[in-house]
Amino acid sequence: MIKITNESFDLEKEFKFVSSDINGAYSFFLGTVRSDLSSLNKKIKGIYLECYEELALAQLKKIRSKALYNWKLNECLIIHRIGKLDLGEKIVLVITASSHRTNAIEACEFVIDSLKIDVAFWKFHLLNDDTKEMVSQKNLDNEKMLKWKDIIN
Amino acid sequence: MNITLKYFSWIRVKLKKSHDLIELNQKTNLKDLKNKLILKDPIFQEIFEDDSVKYFLNLKEIDDENHTLNNGDILAFLPPVTGG
Repeated sequence: MIKITNESFDLEKEFKFVSSDINGAYSFFLGTVRSDLSSLNKKIKGIYLECYEELALAQLKKIRSKALYNWKLNECLIIHRIGKLDLGEKIVLVITASSHRTNAIEACEFVIDSLKIDVAFWKFHLLNDDTKEMVSQKNLDNEKMLKWKDIIN
Repeated sequence: MNITLKYFSWIRVKLKKSHDLIELNQKTNLKDLKNKLILKDPIFQEIFEDDSVKYFLNLKEIDDENHTLNNGDILAFLPPVTGG
């Protein structure tokens, strides 16, 4: 299941969606809005997430398919919020379900690493003076993705 | 023919709009379009000089400037993504 939404989500409800007695392991990744500093050392009060929804859905579908295939998952759920989010709010949820833990854990990491560099979302910091500041892509995110190159078909 | 341009992130902020509908001659390619847009607004020069900007035509990435555009195409200009 893939969802892009401007509404929050309930972890227990989403877990019920992937829950099944064929699974012996689940891995969760939950990304939230942290209290951060802007590039000019100003405290942020939240974030704004922009999205090219048609493209992002197609890209997420491709990532999910790779995760399902390469780690023999039984289910993979990806939810990503868009719009204005306050500090502490949930941004993104990935749940992978498989028979054994290693597959679920690795696949979950692959999905969030891929999402960070390959899906059409853009983050802006919302500052206290009501201005927005674009968040730049981190080199670390690109470097992390390299480790999956030889593993993924 | 008409094609839709979509702008995201800093490109949308710089241009102060999220999209454009533009009229082009038949058999226009991406390179011709870029030249036309630079004449229309010099901000496009900065966009096209940025190697990190990707071009998606009808949801598929293109990097060939000779790629021919067709009536009804949707071309999106995408800076590096920062979701998650």
